[in-house]
Amino acid sequence: MSGRSVAFSLGLVVLAVVIQTTLFGDGRLQPLGASPLLVLVVVLGCVRYLEPEPALLLGFTGGLLLDLLGGSPLGLWAMVHLVAAYIGLRLRARADDGVVVVAVGVFVVALLGQALFLMASTLFGQRLLATTGIVKQLILPALYSVVVAGAVLPGVTFVLRERTVGTWLR
Amino acid sequence: MATLPLSSHPGPLMFSFRRFDRSTTLFVSLLMLSFLLATFDVRAQGSGLGGSLREGAQALFAPVQQLATAVTRPVAGFIDGVSNIAGLRDEVERLRAENDALNAELADVQSVQNRLAELEQINDLEPPGDLPTITARIASLGPTDFDQIRWIDKGRDHGVAMGQAVIDEDGLIGRIDFVAAGSARVRLITDPRLGVGVRDLVTNETGWVEGIGQGELQLKMFTAVKPVQEGDRLVTDGTRFPPGLDVGTVKEAAEAEAGFALITTVEPAVRMAEIDFVKVIVGWSPLDASDGGAEEDPARSTNPLVTEQ
Repeated sequence: MSGRSVAFSLGLVVLAVVIQTTLFGDGRLQPLGASPLLVLVVVLGCVRYLEPEPALLLGFTGGLLLDLLGGSPLGLWAMVHLVAAYIGLRLRARADDGVVVVAVGVFVVALLGQALFLMASTLFGQRLLATTGIVKQLILPALYSVVVAGAVLPGVTFVLRERTVGTWLR
Repeated sequence: MATLPLSSHPGPLMFSFRRFDRSTTLFVSLLMLSFLLATFDVRAQGSGLGGSLREGAQALFAPVQQLATAVTRPVAGFIDGVSNIAGLRDEVERLRAENDALNAELADVQSVQNRLAELEQINDLEPPGDLPTITARIASLGPTDFDQIRWIDKGRDHGVAMGQAVIDEDGLIGRIDFVAAGSARVRLITDPRLGVGVRDLVTNETGWVEGIGQGELQLKMFTAVKPVQEGDRLVTDGTRFPPGLDVGTVKEAAEAEAGFALITTVEPAVRMAEIDFVKVIVGWSPLDASDGGAEEDPARSTNPLVTEQ
């Protein structure tokens, strides 16, 4: 792994944040009232090619950017993306098992991430659990994230694999 | 003897264990930092370190977001239009039916207008159109589906301040809950964390409206005597927003049962998915609604992170 890999990963995450806040959402692309967790998918993609510490910091940074540009208390999305990066680190060896495993992994992490956000935000006095259709609001973004991952993960691999000298499990 | 090779020449298993240990330490540290950040941000009510960080992030991201929005808006519009083609026929049928209903109601408009004027006179309401406003454009959206917010391209430098109401030609959109130099964050009325005091124009009774997700609002009337009917118009009652702003229409008739609040759903007057240009009402403060103006601290009342009840 090189510093360039970290820099490229950070660039990809920032790009994902910009796209997430301008292209996806109510009034833009939001089929059936939900949009994918693009930043989470990019973090999961980058984690595969980074050392553990930069990978965790990348997840935390990506989430913190979402916190700064969103409407929730600081740190909640940072925590979610940090946990996602950690799970990605623990399970990244399984990525070689095939597309289905990756798709299931992205779905589960996206679902768990949103559930974690809801629980944490409730803990901090936010009233998001009061919304109707909460199950739909959890499942659809996770499904869309799998679809988006089909396009994003090969791109991340293309950008980072060439710049990765060695990874944690190699 | 068996441990010597491991300690002298760490094998792959031991190497990965040591690295995992370091990363776990970092993971736990960052997890604690996340909780600390959230705690301090909630306690600081959106200002302090969190506010400074947000303002810095906005300063960095706003130009890029505006550029990206200019690029992605037509793309999103095209895809949205294509996906809506199938629903256009139903929409035409619905509009025809609505047109017939409106024609039937047209005869009653004059009496409703008279009644509205009378109510405004009784309640000393100012017509919302007379208030000074600043026109702004939506620069970016909330990053996730849980964020019922919009960022606009006008901020403190343009006279925007915390707590100001944001409207468009259809009615109330939300309220400014964070202001940076060149941008501001609008919390939409569809957010469960924002409540709006409303008045039913037909019954003249007041209640409370808050978001429940999926773009709908929920009306709660704790002291209602008369029932509300489908189609009743709700406007702001002037406690925290300028009076007379359209909030929405009642979707289902309801009446209060003894000892219970009247609860029903409301269709917002504004379609949040379609807002582009908005107006920020800069000439009205919640203090205007109270006589002495000393009962309510506007900084507290506009706290973005605390539910307003």
